[in-house]
Amino acid sequence: MKYWYETIAVTRRILTELWRRRRSLVFWAMFPIAVLLLNGLIFAERSKTALPEPLTLGQALERAAPATLVGAALFFSCLGGSVATVVAEREQRTLKRLFLSPLSGVAYFLGIGLAHGVIAIGQTVLVVAVSVMLGATFQGSPLLAGTIILLSILTYVGVGFILGTQLARRTEDINTLVSAFGVPLLILGGAFVPAFIFPKVLLNLAQYNPVYHMNEALTKVVAEGDDLSQIAPHFRFLAIFASLMVVAGWISYRRMLQVERRL
Amino acid sequence: MVTVKCYPEAGKVLRIERLNKSYGQRLVLRDLNLTIAAGQIYGLLGPNGAGKTTTINILCHLLRADSGLIRINHSAVSEQTKRLIGVAPQETLLYRYLTCEENLRFFASLYGFRGAAQTQRVQACLAAVGLSDRASSIAETLSGGMQRRLSMAIALVHQPKLLILDEPTTGLDLEARFEMWQLIRQLQREGITILLTTHLLDEAERLCDRIGILKDGHILAEGSLADLRQHIPAQEVLVIQTTQEEKAIARAQELQFPHRRYGSDLAFWLPQPMELQEIITLFDGIPLDSISRQPVRLEHIYLEIMRTMFNS
Repeated sequence: MKYWYETIAVTRRILTELWRRRRSLVFWAMFPIAVLLLNGLIFAERSKTALPEPLTLGQALERAAPATLVGAALFFSCLGGSVATVVAEREQRTLKRLFLSPLSGVAYFLGIGLAHGVIAIGQTVLVVAVSVMLGATFQGSPLLAGTIILLSILTYVGVGFILGTQLARRTEDINTLVSAFGVPLLILGGAFVPAFIFPKVLLNLAQYNPVYHMNEALTKVVAEGDDLSQIAPHFRFLAIFASLMVVAGWISYRRMLQVERRL
Repeated sequence: MVTVKCYPEAGKVLRIERLNKSYGQRLVLRDLNLTIAAGQIYGLLGPNGAGKTTTINILCHLLRADSGLIRINHSAVSEQTKRLIGVAPQETLLYRYLTCEENLRFFASLYGFRGAAQTQRVQACLAAVGLSDRASSIAETLSGGMQRRLSMAIALVHQPKLLILDEPTTGLDLEARFEMWQLIRQLQREGITILLTTHLLDEAERLCDRIGILKDGHILAEGSLADLRQHIPAQEVLVIQTTQEEKAIARAQELQFPHRRYGSDLAFWLPQPMELQEIITLFDGIPLDSISRQPVRLEHIYLEIMRTMFNS
């Protein structure tokens, strides 16, 4: 129970801080809606020339929502957010105060993950709600879709810990890191440009990009109603990658503790 | 080293014996001995790099000592003894977007306080540091003095046996400093044992029951202010300004008044209190621009200990 209470305390603290900065919260909400609508409109427009029967806006949003969610919204909230949390903790030196307390490393790690998970759930609800309001109808297993979203969150939080503890020392580093690592991955993952229009060489490269697998797996489940066996290669890659990132994030965090555990 | 009072073992909140710590080849603490009895304020003084922060890090189980014994309330340092120690670091280290109450609630929850017990503890801490009326204020909107008091409240939230205050008034204005001193005395009256590090010698002089002077990882001298005064065989310190310093020093030597330089000040130790007229007469024939008599202060003692004991 100790770990649970501590995890909840860390999560509540991060969310309270976020709530205090309501402007950030508004931006977290604006971003996925804007990307969703842009992606949806692009899909709908392209379908007029590319498909025998053009997609309605609702149908276009069914395809745009997964890419928007795992490829853009969760990326910035979970990965960017985790990096920002760790860096802010180091910059305002509250990490030192935590070292003095009996807070366990596991609870701290889980607390940050859970806080960003809550933000991610909020973004998911928002993206789904806006899509449904505009005529989208999602198919497939909600459990499977939820699992893919969960694995995406774990991946991003894990990577966020690696970047936040090993590479970003100041707030200014976050932008450079996220843009250097993130934006190419997002484009190659099909978050902004659909992967089916990629040239073969990029498509081959995309096979090693977790964002591509998140995007493909979720799109196939919610837009086409595929089950686990049909998305198995994507799901397998994602599950292994998420596990690796959580472990690597944990190791990075432990390394940071060893270096910074001083007053 | 001057060690004076003896406190019964049962009343010791902190006992450090022959503590050693090195970073690579550099010895940071060497055979450090230190004891704090329950309810005392112990001042640990020393220049930067003397080993104060390393000692605190070891006490807080953030660093491991190479050798030596530490007992905090009779327990060896471990993760468990973190609950016995409260630390108010030199920097305030607050969550600046949280209110005072939320900051306290967060740390209280890490120490296992929940529900009504948490509320009660948080309110008690806010009251103890005089911030009850600012409970809902965002931490970053507080003045420097208030932030420091909130930091102290966080250090107290789990009712520690030993409170470590690392330069508690550095950077505060005079008014806030007086408030902080008042608060520290109040905490002592409530029975809290305090280890205080400071560079402000008047602060140590005002607050501390016992003082340890640390240099290069070793306690050079320790005791109450009265005990430490034994290092200066004088009743008063006479500080003069003159254009003929050599003459003044020669005259003082004839009178067997030891002389010292404190920065640009030329000072003489007076073995007994003397009237001003008497002093002026003693320096007859030497033009004195200014003359002042001071009681023997901790700063004089500190400088003397640093000079003599460290050299020896």
